[in-house]
Amino acid sequence: MAPRTRSATARPPRGGRAGGEARGGPARAEARLWTRLMLPGTLWMTGFLLASLLLVATLAFGTTDPLGNPRFGFNPDNFAALAEPAYRTVLLRSLGYALITCLICLAVAYPVAYAIALHGGRFKNLLIAAIVVPFFANYLVRMYGWSVVLSDDGPLLGALRDLGLADDGTKILQTGPGVIAGLVYGFVVFMIIPLYAAMERMDTALIEAGRDLYGGPLRTFFFVTVPATRQGAAAGCVLVFLPAMGDFVSAQLMGGPDQIMIGNLIQDKFFQGQNWPLGSALTMLLMAVLLLGMLGYLRRTRKDEAEAAR
Amino acid sequence: MSPEAHPLTRRSFLRAGTAAALGLTAAGCGFASEDDKAAQQAVETPIDVKVDGDLVYFNWADFIDPAVFEGFEKEYGVKVVQSNYDSMEGMAAKLNAGNRYDIIFPTAKWSQRLAAGGKLRTIDHGRLKNAEAVFGGYDYFADPWYDPGSRHTVPFTMYKTGIGWRRDRLGDLTGSWGDLWNEQAKGKVFVLDDRDEVLGMGALKLGLDVSTEDPDDLARVTETLRSLRPRLRGFSSDSYNNLLNGNADMTQAWSGDMAAMLAQAEDPAVFGFEVAKEGAPVNSDCYAIPADAQHPGTAMLFIDYMLRPSSVKKNIEYIGYPMPVRGSEDTYSALVEPFPQCLVTASDLKDDLYFRNATAKGEQHRDTAWTDVKAG
Repeated sequence: MAPRTRSATARPPRGGRAGGEARGGPARAEARLWTRLMLPGTLWMTGFLLASLLLVATLAFGTTDPLGNPRFGFNPDNFAALAEPAYRTVLLRSLGYALITCLICLAVAYPVAYAIALHGGRFKNLLIAAIVVPFFANYLVRMYGWSVVLSDDGPLLGALRDLGLADDGTKILQTGPGVIAGLVYGFVVFMIIPLYAAMERMDTALIEAGRDLYGGPLRTFFFVTVPATRQGAAAGCVLVFLPAMGDFVSAQLMGGPDQIMIGNLIQDKFFQGQNWPLGSALTMLLMAVLLLGMLGYLRRTRKDEAEAAR
Repeated sequence: MSPEAHPLTRRSFLRAGTAAALGLTAAGCGFASEDDKAAQQAVETPIDVKVDGDLVYFNWADFIDPAVFEGFEKEYGVKVVQSNYDSMEGMAAKLNAGNRYDIIFPTAKWSQRLAAGGKLRTIDHGRLKNAEAVFGGYDYFADPWYDPGSRHTVPFTMYKTGIGWRRDRLGDLTGSWGDLWNEQAKGKVFVLDDRDEVLGMGALKLGLDVSTEDPDDLARVTETLRSLRPRLRGFSSDSYNNLLNGNADMTQAWSGDMAAMLAQAEDPAVFGFEVAKEGAPVNSDCYAIPADAQHPGTAMLFIDYMLRPSSVKKNIEYIGYPMPVRGSEDTYSALVEPFPQCLVTASDLKDDLYFRNATAKGEQHRDTAWTDVKAG
């Protein structure tokens, strides 16, 4: 019974505002307090996120001066340039890579989060730290390290060749799976953490109930644990999908000419080509695609919330 | 053209005036504003060669022997405050954002752009004791295309682009850009992750201008490069590491990187470096003093110190790039003995296969072609 009461105070009372008013002063004061506490975050987001977003959106209509400086203007050419078929190919490839990355991350993260949350015992925090701490090191440096380990004459392929498990032509770098492996490695932690949090909160009595009803371990997992933690999984998918879609490091270090992702093209526009306006237009395109995906996620969570409130 | 600073000519006055007018219209909506006439004059004022503060130094990382810095600091009693960039674009962005440096090292193309934008002080070579070894020894630099009369720059290093390959796997090559299409190397070929180098390679192979901006030329270049694409393993500027770790049998490479590789390779004999008979792009980094440098006097002393024969020798041995300083040739030939093609000779310079700045429209055409080549 204890968790019930706790969640009742944390959530706004049912029936929305009318209910809150009926309960009188303290609830309203509390609501005001929360509003005020939200202020710094809101200001921060408005100041930095919205302003930079606005800058990118305006710059997408800009031009470049001879010194390579971006200039604002009203130039629709940048969006017209996006019609180039190369962008579509690369965008679709990035979508595919990000989706596969998401699925692999789910497959990897579920058992890990499950084991830690339900069987970690007193080592829980230590285990989570063991997963998180390596990610304190710079992503670029870690990926560069992988590109050395996985190179053709590197330690891994060398050892596999000695064991007869690989031949001279076997390569890992500059392949699609290589890039996806890099993405999974880079972002899997963002899937493990929300799933772990969801499983921590999950009422384990549900699993026991599933077992009592003669569900096998696998059936119980798929019909009880997974649905009960789907919000964590959804949050994890968003956290993995968004950065994976825009990533350029993995494709640059692990990929070849046929693995280039949209992030690489955007990076090229900003650095090599010094065409910030076109880079901005590409960024807007990427954001539009991501926004469509996010809308799906938002509708799903809203539905979940509505169901939970009922 | 006289290297000395001279009073404003009518043309430069007009240019400055136009720039000022543009600046006014752009000031409200641009990131950077253009220089006005007063700034133009300030840029042309000869610099007094004397210590006027610590040196704020801005270059590629690890591109000067630390011993040279120490020597300079000790001799003049100043500190060298170092910061680094990782691309020319990054350097220009920092400069345009108003960061102040005393000495920078732009490539030829960027020297031209920065000088045209009024971002560089003029450098009076007569005030540099050791400049004669450069301009007397390599007359190309007395009046290079990127900076008439070398009025704003002193050349620092030179390099060429060619092909590095694994001699142990491929044997001898034919000395042509066509070698990149070598059957044996298929799937283990890299080209540089650099727009100008890749488009330039395609253009040279076809006998076109190395920095062509003509859409028809570029279409031909793209088509040629498309036939190379399925043979490529990747676009990477990490040329010598790719050779060393076995990912590449062959790679487009900068001469200086190949020279640097000699220091790391266990057995240099398994590697080769050639330049193509169709032509090898050349490039140079230059010393330049930004218009808003706070200690230009110290910067002048630093350039002079860097041009001393002892500093030149140390730096060549440290970074592996040749320098256009008379008397330094033997040091470099000894260093790159296994790869004689790394040398940048007077005739290489005369071929003048530098990457030039294109018009705004031309840059766009080149960008599109590059996206085409890279993204397929």
